[in-house]
Amino acid sequence: MENRGPILIELDAAEAPADVAAAPEVDAPEGAAMQAALGSMARKRGGGPGSWALAAGGALVSLAVSVAAWDFAARLIERAPLLGWLAAVLAGVLALALVLWAGKEALGYARVARLDRLRARASAALVAGDLTEARAVAAAVAGLYGAEDRTLEALDAEAVIEGAEAHLLIALDARVEVEIQTAARAVALATAIIPLAFADVAAALSANLRMIRRIAEIYGGRPGAFGNWRLARSVAVHLMATGLVAVTDDVIHSVAGGGLLSKLSRRFGEGVVNGALTARVGLAAMELCRPLPFRMGRKPGVSAVTATALKGLFDRG
Amino acid sequence: MISSLTGLITHSIDAVSDTVSEAFFEPVVRLGVTGLSRAGKTVFITALVHNLMEPGRMQRMRAVQQGLIRGAWLQPQPDMTLPRFDYEAHLASLTGEAPRWPQGTRAVSELRLSFRLAPTGLFGGLTGPRKLHLDIVDYPGEWLLDLGLMGKSYASWSAEVLARLPKRPQAEVFREVLLNIDPQARHEESVAQSLAREFTAYLVAAREAGWSDCTPGRFLLPGEMAGSPVLTFAPLPGSEGKRGSLWREMARRFDAYKAQVIRPFFETHFARLDRQVVLIDVLEAVHRGPAALEDQRRAMAEVLAAFRPGANGFFTSMLRGRRVEKILFAATKADHLHHTQHPRLTALAEALLREARDRARFSGAETAAMSIAALRSTIEEQRSHGGREVDLVRGRLSDGRQVAVNAGELPEDPSRLLLPAREGAERWLQGDYGVMQFAPPVLSRVPGQGLPHIRLDSAAEFLIGDRLV
Repeated sequence: MENRGPILIELDAAEAPADVAAAPEVDAPEGAAMQAALGSMARKRGGGPGSWALAAGGALVSLAVSVAAWDFAARLIERAPLLGWLAAVLAGVLALALVLWAGKEALGYARVARLDRLRARASAALVAGDLTEARAVAAAVAGLYGAEDRTLEALDAEAVIEGAEAHLLIALDARVEVEIQTAARAVALATAIIPLAFADVAAALSANLRMIRRIAEIYGGRPGAFGNWRLARSVAVHLMATGLVAVTDDVIHSVAGGGLLSKLSRRFGEGVVNGALTARVGLAAMELCRPLPFRMGRKPGVSAVTATALKGLFDRG
Repeated sequence: MISSLTGLITHSIDAVSDTVSEAFFEPVVRLGVTGLSRAGKTVFITALVHNLMEPGRMQRMRAVQQGLIRGAWLQPQPDMTLPRFDYEAHLASLTGEAPRWPQGTRAVSELRLSFRLAPTGLFGGLTGPRKLHLDIVDYPGEWLLDLGLMGKSYASWSAEVLARLPKRPQAEVFREVLLNIDPQARHEESVAQSLAREFTAYLVAAREAGWSDCTPGRFLLPGEMAGSPVLTFAPLPGSEGKRGSLWREMARRFDAYKAQVIRPFFETHFARLDRQVVLIDVLEAVHRGPAALEDQRRAMAEVLAAFRPGANGFFTSMLRGRRVEKILFAATKADHLHHTQHPRLTALAEALLREARDRARFSGAETAAMSIAALRSTIEEQRSHGGREVDLVRGRLSDGRQVAVNAGELPEDPSRLLLPAREGAERWLQGDYGVMQFAPPVLSRVPGQGLPHIRLDSAAEFLIGDRLV
């Protein structure tokens, strides 16, 4: 290894003395709020005796409540038939609404899963060069968005998939990018301004969950509440597994070169890093929700997205 | 023997009654600041106290972020027989018109910082604000080395010291004197006196030259014990002596030194610590060369072997006395390097204190390593030098000149420094390191903001953060 040895430069007396008190801190901000938010997104819920106890308790309570409601309605019918039937109908409506809600959640789940399947099929078709499969995927994606399939004249798998991507997804990608930028901006501002610990984590968490839901909706996923949590968890796990939650230099440089951060106060530096991490979450969610894999260099870079999102936000520290 | 036993028992009783009162009423955290001479203990304590009282720059402490610290003030310390740490004088010397580093510490002093904390937790609303006392002791770093002597006999200590002498040019006079002395001759006080005088002269010279291991420490700073028999001994060759011989007398004095000087010092100040920060000026040792680095490593390993790390349970701490449950290994003077090199400095300090760290972890204590600067005296900048951009730190030297310095690049793998040092290399293979002595900065201070620092907040969070929240 090369060692350059010590360097000593003596400065002119005319040069202003070093103002240590005003010097920026040496450590880069670590985006604490986003790290905490990602941590809670990635945490696995349920499992173990605790959740069994909870589930059994819940079942017991709902059993008791339904029996009580049944008794209540039955007795009311004896006393005042009109009111009794009203109560019975209301109970029926409630039960129906619950069933519908559960169905909707399941449907949302299935829709997200369908996007995932489509992308897997598209990747497989690309690897195998399977034209029929590629056409089937393109048709399915076109059907998803209610558009006509214009890729019939293409004669190899890559052309079919890329044609479908160009035709169907570019407009959606742009909308998703705007969504990511909005969220990154919101998180950056919130974590820079909210002085309360935990409140900034809550703000970052809610903004990220909203962003992930919007991204899934744009690509036709429309996940329910559970589907959204599930999606957020896979995004967070994916980011952690690939080490993308670490604050590396590119996060910082993406904002506007390394020099800027050192001029910002600590708090605004945290905001910038939180915003940049949000953009990463958004891009990971985009990849997970998109029905086709990114081709032809269409994948947006973290730096570009972050830079656009935070432009003008912290220009002067 | 008996007296040391009874001493131990009274001590344990004291400790138990203290723990009982602490467990139920006002908790106390005892922070041990451990470091050899010139490691920067006094500056660390001063800067820590100042920053805790004006926490504007301590944003990495959870208690500060959440605004839990309602107030902090310097109390009269609990120990009636010790002088108070002269916080105001040290702060004044660091922040005056012409700032300078405080003088070397010459005696033990103590300080208690009391916090009034906003209530937290489930029953917080019921109990109201909490109090927490932080006790810190400052002492001459020279005395710390003596802790390593506690487990040694006179013969083994002599053998070690004598083996070291040929490598140190400062010892020449003492070695010549030693040649003319017969350890088995009858004890004569005048001989012992002159021998001890030469030995002391050698120790003083060796310390001036930057050697770490200069035991016994009281010889360097004797205080009121100067001239007493307990400080009038010197190492002699041989493994035992006849009755009445010089060797036997010296061994007797060495044992008295251990029992009456070191042990009370250890028991009053170190045996009951909860948290410990080990300050180590690795950079200076690296600058002085392989021998100084190895010397520092060995000295620190011996000192740290005297402590008892481990986890403190509610009952175990009452039964067997407290243990050090968190240890921070802090490489000081981080402001002398550009921050891109700080991870390497940390790795070097950690590798240097490896033994102590492993032992602490094994016994259940939490450890961490950091590069810190308790009082930051430089700013970072980039300049072009010899045709390329170099990372520099800029600051003021004690003679008033302003310089921008790159101390040289530390290797990524700390063993590239530690192995040659252990093998007794004369100089570094990869070239030199030039560490300057920066003076404290002239500060434009803002009310509410403590002294500028590097990672002092992270260090404080690790050490006492859990007790504040």
